[in-house]
Amino acid sequence: MTTGISLVRENTASMQPPRALWVSFPLGRPLGKPRDSAFQHRVIKAALDLLNRSNGPLLEDYPEDAPEIEIEDTPACPVTFSKPNSNAPRWEGILSAEVTALMPWHDLGRRQKKGRTLVGLSEFSVKENAVKLGQILNHQEVPEVELQWLKAAIEDIKVFYLEAMMAQPSAYQLSQIDQAFWSETQMGAAILALHDRFAKHEQLSGFARIIAPRTAVLNAKKSRDKLPKDTQ
Amino acid sequence: MVRLTDLPKSEREHLVSKNQPPLGPPAWVHLSKPISDLRIALITTAGLHFRDDPAFEFSDATFRPISGDEDANNLIMSHSSVNFDKSGFAEDVNLVFPIDRFRELQAAGEIGTLADTHYSFMGAGLQPEFYEASAVQVAGMLKKDQVDAVFLTPV
Repeated sequence: MTTGISLVRENTASMQPPRALWVSFPLGRPLGKPRDSAFQHRVIKAALDLLNRSNGPLLEDYPEDAPEIEIEDTPACPVTFSKPNSNAPRWEGILSAEVTALMPWHDLGRRQKKGRTLVGLSEFSVKENAVKLGQILNHQEVPEVELQWLKAAIEDIKVFYLEAMMAQPSAYQLSQIDQAFWSETQMGAAILALHDRFAKHEQLSGFARIIAPRTAVLNAKKSRDKLPKDTQ
Repeated sequence: MVRLTDLPKSEREHLVSKNQPPLGPPAWVHLSKPISDLRIALITTAGLHFRDDPAFEFSDATFRPISGDEDANNLIMSHSSVNFDKSGFAEDVNLVFPIDRFRELQAAGEIGTLADTHYSFMGAGLQPEFYEASAVQVAGMLKKDQVDAVFLTPV
């Protein structure tokens, strides 16, 4: 027998698994609140209680919301991420310098979390991957091989930024870091530039959607649309 | 919040497009003993695995076993979707894979025991039928592990 969490009520309602507890929490947070064992236990208990029911399929709504997360406004970041000049940027230098600047924060965060890090999908270091990514961008082309490397490298880079930015004192609420990464960092701009190249590629356009989230792509487009034409 | 009405139109349409018909006739198993006697396994679709395990590929219907003896703080994530927030998982593995909470329930006698092995899938990019062979394999191993109930977490 099974019970569990549903994050998208409509999807679960359509598939009708035997027992599911729908929660209103954001995608990526099925138990609601990190580091809040009491909150997590309440969610688990509600899902386990469904095992006692005698008829199904059951899709029950969990009554408690996770704390409201405002993702529209991000505060100013204590580390300045200056955007690359669009006139022939030397991406590998820019990205390497940004990664280097964040390295002490990542180290600090790792120490705070007793060594825990999500970095490690790629066989190369974050800095090596940043340099290689920069070289690809400088050559104005789409990397048609090494896609497995690229996926792992980009994932590692993103979680490195996430963990480094989380370690900065009161820099962001956790939920704002993702938006800050895409809108404020040079690495975010670099990955969005790569996304746009893949999106236009005849055979590899599908790869675009696994390197940058739809909201970041849309927000970047909105920002570009707001700029006067001669500054783009 | 994942209330579709709160999301931008593009996100809403994307998520609704994931609706699927039921996989088959309704399946229902009655509870045959108290929850405090159940042996429970966790299964996540968050694409979790240990650093030494192969990462999940773009579309990947395989699974990774997660031994109950190992330190879940060493789990990493290679999910293909980039459209969810990873900061919570970076902060606390239990937000996605609540193994410590279940260990606490076991210690408190609120569940029976935990399975020897838990399982991780990567839920993206494939229709449900592609997972059938892996699901059958995992179901067989859950039986061998004498698991009574499975707690499922998406991401």
